[in-house]
Amino acid sequence: MATPSDFPPSPPDDKSPIPEVVTTPSPTPPTTEAQQASIAQETPKQQDSPPSVFKNSEPLREDQIQNAIKFLSHPRVRGSPVIHRRSFLERKGLTKEEIDEAFRRVPDPSPSSQPTVSTQDGQKAVSNVQPQGQVQAMQPAPVVMVPPPSLLSRFRWYHAALAVGVLAASGAGTAVFVKKSLIPRIKSWVRRIMLEEETDPLKKADAKPSLAEEAVAAAKAASAAASDVARVSQELMITKSEERKYFEDLTRLLGVQVQEMKSLSNNIRNLEGNYNNLPKVYSADQEVYGGGLVKTSAERRSYANGSNIDYDTRSARSASPPPAPPADSSMPPHPKSYMDIMSMIQRGEKPSNIREINDMPPNPNQQLSNSRIAPKTKPWDYGQAPQEENANGPWWQQKNPRSTDFGYETTASRSIGIPNETNTMEPAALPRQRSWVPPQPPPVVMTEAAEAIRLPKPQAKIDQEAAASDDQSGVSDELQKINKFSETGGDGSGNLQITEIQEEREQQQFSQEGN
Amino acid sequence: MPVFKAPFNGYSVKFSPFYESRLAVATAQNFGILGNGKIHVLELSPGLPGVTESVSFDTADAVYDVSWSESHDSVLVAAVGDGSVKIYDTALPPPSNPIRSFQEHAREVHSVDYNPTRRDSFLTASWDDTVKLWAMDRPASIRTFKEHAYCVYQAVWNPKHGDVFASASGDCTLRIWDVREPGSTMIIPGHDFEILSCDWNKYDDCVLATSSVDKTIKVWDVRSYRAPLAVLNGHGYAVRKVKFSPHRRSLIASCSYDMSVCLWDYMVEDALVGRYDHHTEFAVGIDMSVLVEGLMASTGWDELVYVWQQGMDPRAS
Repeated sequence: MATPSDFPPSPPDDKSPIPEVVTTPSPTPPTTEAQQASIAQETPKQQDSPPSVFKNSEPLREDQIQNAIKFLSHPRVRGSPVIHRRSFLERKGLTKEEIDEAFRRVPDPSPSSQPTVSTQDGQKAVSNVQPQGQVQAMQPAPVVMVPPPSLLSRFRWYHAALAVGVLAASGAGTAVFVKKSLIPRIKSWVRRIMLEEETDPLKKADAKPSLAEEAVAAAKAASAAASDVARVSQELMITKSEERKYFEDLTRLLGVQVQEMKSLSNNIRNLEGNYNNLPKVYSADQEVYGGGLVKTSAERRSYANGSNIDYDTRSARSASPPPAPPADSSMPPHPKSYMDIMSMIQRGEKPSNIREINDMPPNPNQQLSNSRIAPKTKPWDYGQAPQEENANGPWWQQKNPRSTDFGYETTASRSIGIPNETNTMEPAALPRQRSWVPPQPPPVVMTEAAEAIRLPKPQAKIDQEAAASDDQSGVSDELQKINKFSETGGDGSGNLQITEIQEEREQQQFSQEGN
Repeated sequence: MPVFKAPFNGYSVKFSPFYESRLAVATAQNFGILGNGKIHVLELSPGLPGVTESVSFDTADAVYDVSWSESHDSVLVAAVGDGSVKIYDTALPPPSNPIRSFQEHAREVHSVDYNPTRRDSFLTASWDDTVKLWAMDRPASIRTFKEHAYCVYQAVWNPKHGDVFASASGDCTLRIWDVREPGSTMIIPGHDFEILSCDWNKYDDCVLATSSVDKTIKVWDVRSYRAPLAVLNGHGYAVRKVKFSPHRRSLIASCSYDMSVCLWDYMVEDALVGRYDHHTEFAVGIDMSVLVEGLMASTGWDELVYVWQQGMDPRAS
């Protein structure tokens, strides 16, 4: 590494214009510099002292890679977009390196064009690789916050079922109609033939029909019949298509009617709800807004007086909470007006309260006004002067004494020894922290006892002393333990000090209990 | 405790890092489905009424999130539903605002977060699956991070390392990124459902919390990310936002579609330490003040913004 002291590192991407403010002496830049020097990002190296904790430092897991290869080799998976495959593997807990390795091993016709490998043109790779089309294909309707996959599939089934139903119904309908129209047509055709046949024998009876004439007549009849059949079949086709069109129109109209009826019933329910809830909401509102509610425009102040007109419109929009949330549904009950607006959008209508607003900057080169205050240090970057609790200050500065009484800020919880606590981050000496600070070691209460602990003495004497100071036998046991520990030779003064403090604390505790 | 009634449904609330009594609220008409948006800048005052609006800005589309600048006391950044990122300067008169509008995201911008350590850049997370890095003085984004397979709901800077951030996405993963690297440095498949929010522990730079549609909040340590440190249950529906306290190491605030705001201590056996049921619709925005310990604010689709001290009843007068 050329210049170890050279903050900021010059990254291969074009991020250097952001000046690195040297307030955070983080240990990570030297390491990442080293890692950037190597091209492959997959296997982060344990160089320099602390590797960045924000990277995976685990080696590739072969079993996971094998599972991924099996997954990727499945024919159905081959047909899915690459982004889905990656997302699935990520959700299974594979690291990026393992996923890349699996993709590399599986012969893949469409190259997995993931932007992790090269660092040189990192920015371009990151932004332009994923084909938008694949991603767009996954997007459901824009704003719905509920889990989309199930909704999407539900829509698919619903659409498919509806399509099949419509097709079957139209097919059956046309079949019925055709049959109905076919039979009378056949009958009329047969009748026509019979009439011709009747007339023919009459003609023959009148004038002696010769064979030729008969043949001619038969041929004529046959041709007439054929043309008739052709005509009839044509008409049949036309009527069939017409019938189908009519049927589809009919079903569509029916659907529209159903939707209108649904919305009507919704509105009715709304109105009923409003009528029912009007007294309740009114009184609830009184208690909520009684204490100094501020409106943005003066006209809304009449609201506080409870003008009913305002009330109806308002409660129609932000409806009262649903009467009983459904037992175990995964979808939270949306407000009724939310469903109204969603259905309005789906029908293609636009809510009427939207205004045309021009929110473009009037002067795109407008200079920022100068800052009046210097940035303040954050409470977690210690060094900030403690903010005194000011009982006379504004209400928001008055710390509620109850707020600390969450019952967890006791020495017990602190001493649990959270394995992941990095002790440097929260020094006990932080003046601003209102959390637990280790108490100062209490002054030596019994100098004789303290000396007794420091200097090895026969146990009997110490027991006597302990018994003299307190009647509880537990104390003597504790003291015995402590003395034994110190007698067997602690590691040095530090240990003795600890035992002393413990002993003193116990002394204090027991003396308190005695009181 | 003061309440502010907005004309539109609330989406996000943020305290100013410069002024104790100032906060910004992002709102959207028609629940953010389709309609205009509005940003309110509110001032807390000692007497009645407890909160007043000092200025507001109208936008053509819904505003989903707002973030105060850490370098200029009067500047805020807004994440707008039409994919634009707008910068407002409250020291300039409203007709001069916004001072910038960046149109790069292909879909709604769902969150914006200003860098608290470097103070010169901010991140936006969008439903177009990308996270973008911006600086105030640049006309275009500096980086685009495109790896998520679905909407990115939030991107949050690490409070100690100015180059590291985390992103929470609808593809059910949480990713850790370093702006000096071309791609994400860690992928944590945190939940089985969409992850709606994440936030770093201000006192332990390796710990962060995620909240998800599966109604839980999980606390992770990036050094052993295979299993969470804690799983916090208690919300009845999806947890929309989660926030670590700037003053207490293990205190987490969360708001949910079950209309409640909860306080948790993830290091304790019974983690739920507080619950507020003041909202009458989905509670979607929450913030804890950096300058005043214990001061919290929340907003929801009931168009109300509450500001209160922990331990008090938000609806008390």
